[in-house]
Amino acid sequence: MWMPVSELLQALERTRVGELVRESAFPYVEGTHVLGLALSVGTVVWFDLRLLGAALRTRPVSEVFENLKGWMFAGFGLMFLTGVLLFTSHATKAYANPYFRTKIALLLLAGVNSGVFHLTIDRRRAEWNDAPTPPLAARAAGLTSLLLWFSIIAVGRLVAYSM
Amino acid sequence: MMWDTLQPWVKVLGGSAFAQWLGQSTDRIAWLFVFHLVGLTLLLGGTLVVSLRLLGVGLRSQPLRQLARDMAPWRTAGLLLMLVTGALIFTGGAVSYFEGQWFRRKMQLLLVALIFNSTLFRSVTKADEGRVSPWLARVTGGLALLLWFGVGVAGRAIAFF
Repeated sequence: MWMPVSELLQALERTRVGELVRESAFPYVEGTHVLGLALSVGTVVWFDLRLLGAALRTRPVSEVFENLKGWMFAGFGLMFLTGVLLFTSHATKAYANPYFRTKIALLLLAGVNSGVFHLTIDRRRAEWNDAPTPPLAARAAGLTSLLLWFSIIAVGRLVAYSM
Repeated sequence: MMWDTLQPWVKVLGGSAFAQWLGQSTDRIAWLFVFHLVGLTLLLGGTLVVSLRLLGVGLRSQPLRQLARDMAPWRTAGLLLMLVTGALIFTGGAVSYFEGQWFRRKMQLLLVALIFNSTLFRSVTKADEGRVSPWLARVTGGLALLLWFGVGVAGRAIAFF
């Protein structure tokens, strides 16, 4: 049975979790979401900078990824969890907020960028794994990722200012 | 106390035309926070990666000295971005920030973190790996995480408490 979106949002806000976050846990959840940037975007930037040939140039690309991936995935898991909790606490306002919508769209684009990278140039990684400066397509994916993540940080902050 | 010595200067700064101009626009402050967080991502992300390496829980295949040297310019860029945007955010609301206990805690921690960064952290990450005992590396990594994330936690607390 389908529920109108507005009712679904209100139902989310009325849950125990929504109430708890809104009325007491908000500073801790929001603080974790902000500092979680270090673990999520703060680790993915090193992989992006390696793809760009701007950092860790002497290390193989695979090594950089293998070293970072556990922390990176843990970081994005933490961001997703705290992000969902924050959304639950103010679902109606967040849903209507243009910056929030932009943020979700940019997150989807970051996913598409990563997917395209893995399905195209990354398939031939063996050929450029050790290259200090990876091929253009890989650099483009790294730069796109960096720009998207910094834009996501920007709109995320603007959500907080416009609610 | 040192805070009392600084008080008259903070009043002058907060009363300046520039401070009024900064503080009167929520948009300007919001954008300063955006760049403050971009700086945070570079500084805390870089600190996290080097610290995990020091703690021996990640990136073990990368030589410590090279890793720290590769990341240093980005960590420094992040730190400078945070210092500049932080100083401007402070200017926009100088007198009220200055009275806050979390703001003062943040500044004290920041001072300790900066001193730590240019002494112990610097010498341990620049030394030849064989010459640093594993426990000293672990203590340095742990302290780096505590201090820098402590600055971050105090910073978030300014907004809420």
